[in-house]
Amino acid sequence: MSTNYIIENLKKEIDSFSLQVKAEKIGHVLEVFDGIARVSGLSDVRSSEMVTFVGGETGVALNLEEDTVGVIVLDDFSKIKEGDEVKATGRILEVPVGDAIIGRVVNTLGKEIDGKGVIKTNKTYPIEKVAPGVITRLSVSEPVATGIKVIDATIPIGRGQRELLIGDRQTGKTAIAIDTILNQKGQNMICVYVSIGQKDSKLRKIQTRLEEGGAMAYTVIVSAGSSEPAPLSYIAPYTGVSIAEYFMDKGKDVLIIYDDLSKHAVAYREISLLLRRPPGREAYPGDVFYLHSRLLERACRRNKEYGGGSITALPIIETQAGDISAYIPTNVISITDGQIFLETDLFYKGIRPAVNVGSSVSRVGSNAQIKAMKKVAGTLKLDLAQYRELEAFAQFGSDLDESTKKQLERGKRAVEILKQPQYSPVKTEHQVAVLYALTKGFMDDVPVNRIKEFEEGLINYTENNAKKFYKEITEAKMWTDAGEAELTNAIGEFKNNFLTKV
Amino acid sequence: MATISNNDIARAIYLVSKDKTPIEFQDINHKVAQFLNHRRLLSKSKDILERLEKIMNKENNRIVVNVSSVKKLEEKIKKELTSILKGRYRAKEAVLVEKLDTTLLGGVRIEMDDEVIDLTAKNKIRKLQEHLTRVI
Repeated sequence: MSTNYIIENLKKEIDSFSLQVKAEKIGHVLEVFDGIARVSGLSDVRSSEMVTFVGGETGVALNLEEDTVGVIVLDDFSKIKEGDEVKATGRILEVPVGDAIIGRVVNTLGKEIDGKGVIKTNKTYPIEKVAPGVITRLSVSEPVATGIKVIDATIPIGRGQRELLIGDRQTGKTAIAIDTILNQKGQNMICVYVSIGQKDSKLRKIQTRLEEGGAMAYTVIVSAGSSEPAPLSYIAPYTGVSIAEYFMDKGKDVLIIYDDLSKHAVAYREISLLLRRPPGREAYPGDVFYLHSRLLERACRRNKEYGGGSITALPIIETQAGDISAYIPTNVISITDGQIFLETDLFYKGIRPAVNVGSSVSRVGSNAQIKAMKKVAGTLKLDLAQYRELEAFAQFGSDLDESTKKQLERGKRAVEILKQPQYSPVKTEHQVAVLYALTKGFMDDVPVNRIKEFEEGLINYTENNAKKFYKEITEAKMWTDAGEAELTNAIGEFKNNFLTKV
Repeated sequence: MATISNNDIARAIYLVSKDKTPIEFQDINHKVAQFLNHRRLLSKSKDILERLEKIMNKENNRIVVNVSSVKKLEEKIKKELTSILKGRYRAKEAVLVEKLDTTLLGGVRIEMDDEVIDLTAKNKIRKLQEHLTRVI
């Protein structure tokens, strides 16, 4: 690049520069502490308006008081001094959005943190937006295939639904979320994973896993690490949903995961207490319900006239010692359209994913299932619940009638079938075939300890010998009599070979 | 019990002392001092007085404008500035408080309450720098 070229370009830029003089609203920093600045002046500032400090730091005005404004600082606050000038920008906090953000890891302000260079975007979205109205919405009817048998069969999630993942630490909540992202390959879905207050090592592990699974091609990660100040954790989910809304506005289906909203509530509590807002139950501020309801309400499915996109939200809540009656869990349970309970006891019994089918629920129900899945999994939830009850009852005596014994045996096999290792999502059509074999009693005489082996073999065998059935499920979402006969034959043949093999 | 802000106290002082004779005013002054002492607010008296001044200025349609420049302003410019500011803020009276600041490089910076009109060379250069270093 020649010197002349640089000079010419600079001249052009300087010529194109025009300065419009306007009156600006300013304030002065009175005090700074723990990511919060108390500012005098700024008389016309609005709630959630962006302000800038002299060093270029960004803040958001949260508390509008008689004489002062409480501002949360979103950058390093250590360089802000008392008396520094603060300018109002007149804009609500916004984040850059665009197609180039896919595959990237960004921070709360939408800036790249993955070292892959600047993300070129020419659009911004405000982080706070009113959720789409009733007229623009459509009821949930299309499934989100999670690839996890127990969820797809018994607690189906639909596009536009909000399903809570709740459980103690180390019960596999994030694992379910990551498996769901991995299974979205080829499903025409954009995924946004919002990490709130997580360890950087955990985030790195998740990013690597998603890269290995080829899932970063359709995923955006928004991160507010545990070492970052609370205001960033507070803003992060709103940044995530703004990015998701950009894609939804383009008519795309988006899956957003908030990992986790307990830490989000804790961050908000910290900010509120520092801003001297009155504490309520568990020291959370009075508007902690609204904090989550306005976030989750932005998940929706739009009708065709409004673009037809959707945002499916999977918020995660971590409970303490299984206490789901705590403040935040009850709040989020009441906001969402269902919850998936994960239990430590089940996890250590080897039932993984450790989903408690009895307590888990999807309020959208079977509307979010394809017809074939509805047919095979219709009674599975009830059967499992009855099995759990009988299992407890059967421990007291051995004199059981034939039908009870049969039910117990079927239940044992169902539990085995619903076990699934991490990072190994199962395709919907394979799930249908396996559950068909289970519910039609083909597995009743297969030993429980060989069920897993049977399942794997059955999928491989039927894939080659029941092609028509699979084609029907993929295309028409339901089998015909001919397809069913083909599958039944294939299962019968495989079972004969399997049982003769030792 | 709700706390009384310095602003509330300043407004109360203004309201009780409004339209009072000098003798009445002396009595009020004494009572205000007693009140501040009784409520242990004497340490906040500076802030209360500043607020009282602001309230009085507002009520009397008087504005106090801080003008920063590199060198002392000429009388002609000051007069022009005063008339412009009076028109802009619809004030009866405008008081210019001049401040010299060589770091501004040139031009003037006008501050009225929390509103700033920055016409300095320093601001222009900063804006140009932002324009040249923006991400395209």
